[in-house]
Amino acid sequence: MAERRKFKKRYCKYCEAKVDFIDYKDLAQLKFSLSERFKIMPRRLTGNCKKHQELVTVAIKRARQTALIPYIVDRKNVVESPFENVR
Amino acid sequence: MNCYETLFVVKPTLTDEETAAQVAKVTAVLAKEGAELLATDDMGMRKLAYPVQKNERGYYTILFFKAEGSVINELERNLKINEDVIKFLTVKYSNTREIAQFDKLVAAANKNSEPEAEAKTEVEVEAVTESVEA
Repeated sequence: MAERRKFKKRYCKYCEAKVDFIDYKDLAQLKFSLSERFKIMPRRLTGNCKKHQELVTVAIKRARQTALIPYIVDRKNVVESPFENVR
Repeated sequence: MNCYETLFVVKPTLTDEETAAQVAKVTAVLAKEGAELLATDDMGMRKLAYPVQKNERGYYTILFFKAEGSVINELERNLKINEDVIKFLTVKYSNTREIAQFDKLVAAANKNSEPEAEAKTEVEVEAVTESVEA
């Protein structure tokens, strides 16, 4: 037990908040699992559990279909303030 | 009867009356097919995350309803034909956990649209739970 943990232990934020359903219209809830380029963040970086990652993934894909969040953000396709609708 | 939620986006170029007419058109289809409309949620004019048919904005409306599965075919056929509707998405709430959430969303949508009516239904809900406990 000589080796100390170098990083803080990650936990699932959705589990802690006792979320059992993620609505694709609730962008504030999805924001946590999106990178700044609106990619879905992997579980190894966010610490989400498998169950919630699956819920988040479906919700994000639905939000993309309905033009609530962009598919990609690159140099040609810049979003100035993507979350201006989120209050 | 299944629980469904349909979101659709109407073109931003229409006037308020025309937008309302489009929403009425969709609800009329539901009424004709014998669906039970539980709530409507107007998200209003929003900026789209990416241009759709060269539109930068769109008018979002969400309908919560209970219907048979065959109604969805007819509804989506109408939405596809309609040139003023630029996006739509239907989501089915099937298992018990999702249906519980569906009821919550319906309640929230009703609360936003008409606060007075919601106060009344809340009293009714309480009465129902009391009777269940008794």
